[in-house]
Amino acid sequence: MLRLVKRFNEANPDVNVLMQRMDWSTYYNKLFVAGMGGRAPELFVLQTLAIPRFARAKFVRPVDDLLKQPHAVDVRDLDANVWNAVSYAENHYGLPLDIWPMGMYYNRRLFREAGIVDAQGEAKPPSTRDEFLDAARRISSTTSGKPGDRWGFTFTYFESNLYSVMQQFGGEFFTPNLDRCIINGPNNVAALQFCVDLIRKEKCAPPPENFDSWIGFRQGKVGMVFEGIYMLADLQKQKDLDYAGAPAPVLGDHRAVWAGSHNLCLRANLNAKELEAAWRFMSFLSNNSLDWADGGQVPARRSLRDSDRFRHMTVQSEFAKQIPYVKYLPRIPFIFEFQTEFNAAIEKALRGSESPKSALDTAAANLNRIIQREREAGPS
Amino acid sequence: MLTRKSLARYSGYLFVLPYLALFTVFLLIPLLYGLGLSLYRRELLTSIPARFIGIGNYVEALHDAYFWKALLATFRFVLVATPLTVCAALAIAVVLSRTSGKLQTFLRAAYFAPTILTVSVAGILWRWFYNSEFGLFNAYLGHLGIKAPWLTNNSWALISIALMTLWWTVGGPMVVLLAGIHHIPPQYHEAASLDGADGYRQFLHITLPLLRPVLLFVVVLNIIGSFQVFGQTFMITRGGPEMSTRSLVQYIYETAFNNYRMGYASSLSWLLFLVIAAFSAVQFRLMREQ
Repeated sequence: MLRLVKRFNEANPDVNVLMQRMDWSTYYNKLFVAGMGGRAPELFVLQTLAIPRFARAKFVRPVDDLLKQPHAVDVRDLDANVWNAVSYAENHYGLPLDIWPMGMYYNRRLFREAGIVDAQGEAKPPSTRDEFLDAARRISSTTSGKPGDRWGFTFTYFESNLYSVMQQFGGEFFTPNLDRCIINGPNNVAALQFCVDLIRKEKCAPPPENFDSWIGFRQGKVGMVFEGIYMLADLQKQKDLDYAGAPAPVLGDHRAVWAGSHNLCLRANLNAKELEAAWRFMSFLSNNSLDWADGGQVPARRSLRDSDRFRHMTVQSEFAKQIPYVKYLPRIPFIFEFQTEFNAAIEKALRGSESPKSALDTAAANLNRIIQREREAGPS
Repeated sequence: MLTRKSLARYSGYLFVLPYLALFTVFLLIPLLYGLGLSLYRRELLTSIPARFIGIGNYVEALHDAYFWKALLATFRFVLVATPLTVCAALAIAVVLSRTSGKLQTFLRAAYFAPTILTVSVAGILWRWFYNSEFGLFNAYLGHLGIKAPWLTNNSWALISIALMTLWWTVGGPMVVLLAGIHHIPPQYHEAASLDGADGYRQFLHITLPLLRPVLLFVVVLNIIGSFQVFGQTFMITRGGPEMSTRSLVQYIYETAFNNYRMGYASSLSWLLFLVIAAFSAVQFRLMREQ
């Protein structure tokens, strides 16, 4: 990103972009406080899930009117679901720079050792529920030494893993007008039960860890994990792991995977000069986002993904096949509270403390209380 | 004009002025502002102005299952971590007091060293140590056929964090207690030795009673610190599993800075303040009685 900023500054001597990097854990707090004081940067990045919060607080400016101005970006070059994800209350509040879909990383050595190979003897990743279960069972049963030193699959990031599976089972989270939480619907319960069964019944996934199942994959003890494309940078540094990426298998009846995007957003109170310069920079970043993809991201622009250069980024291009059906988290201002309740329900169910139905019922009740509180607070 | 006499009269105030100014600006005013805020419904995510609701936030807290769960987790941490840390610090201090010269300097520095690590470094380190599938501890315990659920079991997780806290913080109280032991006149121990008292009896009847004021000071500080636990739990478990290690400070942090419910978070902070103040008052009374 720094290289892109330097290139822009050289090509645009009338604009001076200063880039500031910040840790995600404190980024939104600082940005929010800066926004309250009207001192946020002219241009900043928001993850898709954060857009409703900032839009509702009126800290971020819609970009719809800018699309007709010079340096415009053709939004038809964006997938409809990706562009739609930055909308809130009939406006679009950012320009998607990239997409980070969840996908499947698999250990090719473990696949070969379990005999899950194609005609050429190469590891064959599963694409359906039956293939997935077969692979998970076979890899788990190839344990040669101590029991439990090899797992077919492990849950890494609960939220992305379960959100994807629930969407694949046709689950819904809120009513269309967001007035009620229906996370405890039968499809979500069935999806969560399927995941619980992988641990308790099939025993092809370890009981859930708090964090570092990913380390298990990196140590070569796990056959498959569902993780975001952003974990690729981790794997690229590791030369002794024979891994590959593939679209996540369809475990339910629909194709769907969790995803997020980094979006370029504008501060709400820019003057005309600042606005023109910021928009020029946004267009530049969007047009050159293939450079950004080198770091393990998938560009939001279709035309860039169609290039030879991107096609040679093997894992990125595999994960990018899922973009037409990626699913973003619900567009709600109380997203962090949703995440808390969602993750709590998943954790309780996967750990066997509560049944999937009971855990999701609790989440639904808590989220409906939050919806009620939000309604009392005023219009969204 | 300021005379030497009046200067002498006010010199005490002048000495405390710099601290008083900082205390007022950075603690007293925010504290009072927070108290005022706790009486309002103030949510930064909406453009609706703040609304006075009296004790509404406090009433909500009393009906909030997450508040009680976080308070319970905090109490459990205090009950486990404080005795563990203070007893270990005392034991180390007593043993170190019997060494001398370079060995004592080395051991003192070695026990104190973890204290200078930031919580993020210590937290990440121990998170890896504790990982039940792939962690360092279980790799060794695996040779004995043991697989401990360090962070995956609701009851163990808090104890694991208390153990990490012990490693991380024991150096501070240890140094204070060691200094306290050094201040005990050696004649008392010499006289007791001549009377035939062994090391254990000397510790029980000389060291411990004379160390009591220092010990109480260490206990008070440790309890206050334990009530405010946040960094370790946040770094190691993020409050899990199943929110069993989510401390009240973490819940306050999430309420204020994830959900931007400033009024409610302020009321939770004041409730925590009242709990700590009550405990501190009891302990100070105990100290006075001693």
